[in-house]
Amino acid sequence: MRSRRDQARFFGMPRDSFDWTLFLTASALAVIGVINLYSATSVARAALTDIYIQQVYWLVLGGILGAVVAVIDYRHYERLGYLLYGVGIIFLVLVFILGKDIRGSSRWIAIGSFGFQPSEFMKLFLIIALAKYLHDDPRTEARSLKDLIAPALLTAVPTLLVLKQPDLGTALIHLFIFATVCLLTRIRWQTITGIVVSTGILLPMMWTYVLKDYQKQRVTVFLNPEANLLGAGWHAHHARVAIGAGGWTGQGFMQGTQNQFLFLPDQHSDFPFAVFAEDWGFLGCFVLVSLYGFLVLWAIRIAATAKDRFGAVLAIGVGALIFWHAVFNLGMVTGILPVVGVTLPLFSAGGSSVLTIMLGIGLLMNVSMRRYWISPARTTSLLSRD
Amino acid sequence: MSNLLVPRTDVSEFRKRYRWLALVAFIAFSIVLGRLFQLQVLRGADYAQIAHENVIRRVTLPTTRGIVRDSQGRVLASNRSSFNVLLVPGRVMPSARPSRRSRPGVEEHDSFTRIADTLRLNPDERQRLATRIRDACITDEDRSPCWRPILVREDLSRDIVAEIKQHAAEMTGASVVSQPVRYYPYKNQAAHLLGYTSEIDAETLAKYRPPGSDQLSSEERQKLNPLGYEPGDIVGATGVERSWESYLRGQRGWEKRVVDARGRYRTGPEADRLLDAPSRQEPLPGRDLRLTIDMELEQSVQRAMRAHVSGAIVVVDVRTGRLLALYSKPDFDPNDLAGGSGKDRIREAFGKLATDPLRPMLDKTMSGVFHPGSTFKPFSALAALEDKILSPFDKERCDGYLSFGRRIFRCAHVHGRVDMREALAESCNIYFYKLAESVGMDRIARIATEFGLGQKTGIGVNPEAAGRIPTRSWYALRYKGQFRIGFTLNTSIGQGATTVTPLQLALAYAALGNGGTVFSPQLVRAVETSDGSVVQDFPPRVRQKAKIAPENLARISDALYAVVNEDKGTAYPVRDRTLEVAGKTGTAQTGYVNPGTDDPKKAWYLSRDHAWFAAYSPAKAPEIAVVVLVEHGGSGPTVAAPIAMQVIKEYHRLAAARASKLAGSNAKKPDPKDAKDSKDSAGKRPPAPQPAGDSDPSPRDPPPPDPNGLPSWLSDPNDEPASEPVDEPRDEP
Repeated sequence: MRSRRDQARFFGMPRDSFDWTLFLTASALAVIGVINLYSATSVARAALTDIYIQQVYWLVLGGILGAVVAVIDYRHYERLGYLLYGVGIIFLVLVFILGKDIRGSSRWIAIGSFGFQPSEFMKLFLIIALAKYLHDDPRTEARSLKDLIAPALLTAVPTLLVLKQPDLGTALIHLFIFATVCLLTRIRWQTITGIVVSTGILLPMMWTYVLKDYQKQRVTVFLNPEANLLGAGWHAHHARVAIGAGGWTGQGFMQGTQNQFLFLPDQHSDFPFAVFAEDWGFLGCFVLVSLYGFLVLWAIRIAATAKDRFGAVLAIGVGALIFWHAVFNLGMVTGILPVVGVTLPLFSAGGSSVLTIMLGIGLLMNVSMRRYWISPARTTSLLSRD
Repeated sequence: MSNLLVPRTDVSEFRKRYRWLALVAFIAFSIVLGRLFQLQVLRGADYAQIAHENVIRRVTLPTTRGIVRDSQGRVLASNRSSFNVLLVPGRVMPSARPSRRSRPGVEEHDSFTRIADTLRLNPDERQRLATRIRDACITDEDRSPCWRPILVREDLSRDIVAEIKQHAAEMTGASVVSQPVRYYPYKNQAAHLLGYTSEIDAETLAKYRPPGSDQLSSEERQKLNPLGYEPGDIVGATGVERSWESYLRGQRGWEKRVVDARGRYRTGPEADRLLDAPSRQEPLPGRDLRLTIDMELEQSVQRAMRAHVSGAIVVVDVRTGRLLALYSKPDFDPNDLAGGSGKDRIREAFGKLATDPLRPMLDKTMSGVFHPGSTFKPFSALAALEDKILSPFDKERCDGYLSFGRRIFRCAHVHGRVDMREALAESCNIYFYKLAESVGMDRIARIATEFGLGQKTGIGVNPEAAGRIPTRSWYALRYKGQFRIGFTLNTSIGQGATTVTPLQLALAYAALGNGGTVFSPQLVRAVETSDGSVVQDFPPRVRQKAKIAPENLARISDALYAVVNEDKGTAYPVRDRTLEVAGKTGTAQTGYVNPGTDDPKKAWYLSRDHAWFAAYSPAKAPEIAVVVLVEHGGSGPTVAAPIAMQVIKEYHRLAAARASKLAGSNAKKPDPKDAKDSKDSAGKRPPAPQPAGDSDPSPRDPPPPDPNGLPSWLSDPNDEPASEPVDEPRDEP
């Protein structure tokens, strides 16, 4: 028998457990992101000027969908975990049949006038599938390589499909989410060593056989961006100049010349942070990076307070998603990492990307709100005591 | 709370990891912040500078080249606009662009056909241009050549330009840009002394901008390249254009403009905010030059030479050394070489000039050396008088020949017994052979040198030749064999190794006329600003004073007067009673020997003597000295002297007209039309038809090519027939 209060917590959305911190952090990032997009697209080609409005629409839609996702008990997702994963895979395969070709890679499926990017949503499905796997396999002793085969396969299928598009950025995100989730569990030292060594061998082979020329070029450019200013080094160089020109306090909103005079390519998709850094300077960047850092740490905290393995892995997965996106993008824009097309969560324009992050935050909220929930079996036994 | 008591065994496996994950996340974001600190705070100023330089472009502001005027203010060299058409391939032919092809139905249309029609391109040119455009548009990304304008037509006629401007809407991607081109309104006249302009060549440019100079500071670059030469600049190539380049050129200005990444200029307040002072430097226009040349006299000089294909005339003011006319024939039209009509046209014009056997590009007044012949005799006579070797009244007997050993030196006539005055007037060689025998070569050379012969005059315009006045030591160096008296004899009559330029000879005769002052020749009278105020005025400059006793000089002047005015004088038959002229004729052997390979007609022409006449006028109070050289013209008295007379007459007519105009009314402005009319009527007695190409109404048209590959002058019917005996009297008539 359940108390009324327990029932209310189970089905409803109790006000006192709503995660205001998560909500406000994400909202702050979204608002800053929209304002920044306004600056980024203010003088560019006329076609870009309504991008920030679209972004608002996507954020609102994402908020609604995120709320829906947050309200439904995440145990339902656990139940449907592999099904959702399967649907995601089917869409990834569909990309090859229906895909639209943009800049040499097909990542999109057209639905009406919208382009829809299944690989974005696949990240969430992968997290759910991995969470379900670890939930269903509750061992506590250290895992060996054999125990990692199943989750590795779960990851490998979408990763290879995404690589095939080709979309190196998303494939890397898949791999790093998998690695993060793996690190959550106990793994034998021998296994870790083996993985590290084999990666050392596989990477050069990847370079030779898997990477496309333009991807290789990006890596070489990363190593020496000033060598070819008019060619491939253009993006990296001008992004770096824009950031540096921001100084302590920035040149002011919509005053950054690197952006206003079109020296930043992809200023709304891959390089919005450079625009932000130029406009707001180091102080602005400090606030923004701190917000991302806080969001990731908060996700870890949510995981730590989660009541079951599925919730914990789900929170860690979404946290890893945000973390790796942010780190890859910021690293790329500041020149710590090679240029890989990875978006900055809530900052980069793009419907699929925004929706994915909003749904992910919905999942985080879901886990967070249910941190006081008591497993039915234990509750019964506890209640039966008095 | 009861639920806190719930054991969470199933998540305990993860417990220890959260802290580590949080640490990793913290470190990762800290690294990002550290990097941002490095970029924005530590190196922020550098990057701000780079960002600033990215949007600021220094645009050079063109300057205008100075104008060259003659002594009367007539424009000899100025600037005009040449209109060139540029096409942006991607806009002219959108159908050639790959992205356009993949996205059909955009409303852009090819304007190519319309433009090609307007430019009157022939099918071949059209085909080539279309290929060029398609090649440029293989890609059409932002920095592809597809968007870079290409030059298709230079120096369009004004009606085509008007058509393009009027129908601009139908000719997308075409633009007309104007470019200043040097313009010489007098075309061929005074071409050698004016010179022409051309695009700076790589070698000259490398002198001003040596490799690696881009890395130098702007001050160092300024020092190396004070006039700011850049590739494609127009510079003076010859003549005044070249030697006065630094005055004529002017200095470019610059202006800072705000550009975006695609090179488009941005204006408005937010762009202006980025401009730092100083944002503009005004260009300095080039200085104008006023020459000493009188173009009206120059034209009459040219007219006087009409009957002859090759030669030179110098008219110099005896009192100042200012050059009133300098003419070298054949000439060329500097407009053909100065650009504007396109590089192909220039190359074609150069090719034609370079292959002409009469060497039209050579300025014969100062770059060509010739035997002076008998015009040298006054200096030999002076040498005898100065060193008192013989009395001017001593007579020598002329039998028409003189034999030295096995050699026989001839005279043109049997003059009988002549003294110095008669010998000069009648141009007796025998007298001078005998004189030379006693005077010796070195004394003659000393006097000739006193008068500036055999040395560069320092005019500094075109590459000047020195000529040569031989001495015994020169012969000693030159000939291994024994010195022969024949060398001295030849020297005394301006043959042998003696060579001078017409300019030297004119200045020397001016010195004979003015009492022995050898002036530096002056071509540029003043440097002026574009509004006409004088910046620098050049007074006459004395080069040297010949140390000659006045009575000896007077004796020579008297003899030169007799040449023209006494009935035995060589120039007496062609004298003009209205003119007071003193001068000396010359018929110089060329020493040409047919190597056996030359065409007989050409050999005949080349073996003919050079005709000279050197004079000053008026004889008693000289104002001008005139030297006329007709290359391979034949006899000095009959060919060169009439030309000189005509020039002198024209000079006096012009001087009188100007004096009366000045006296008549100071209020009345000189009307150039009047002057032109009177000049035309005065010049209406051309003695012979002109050689081809001289008065052609459109000097750009080439003269018809000779079917035999021979220059047209060799078969000119007005020349003496080729059957004339080659062994004509080789010495002075």
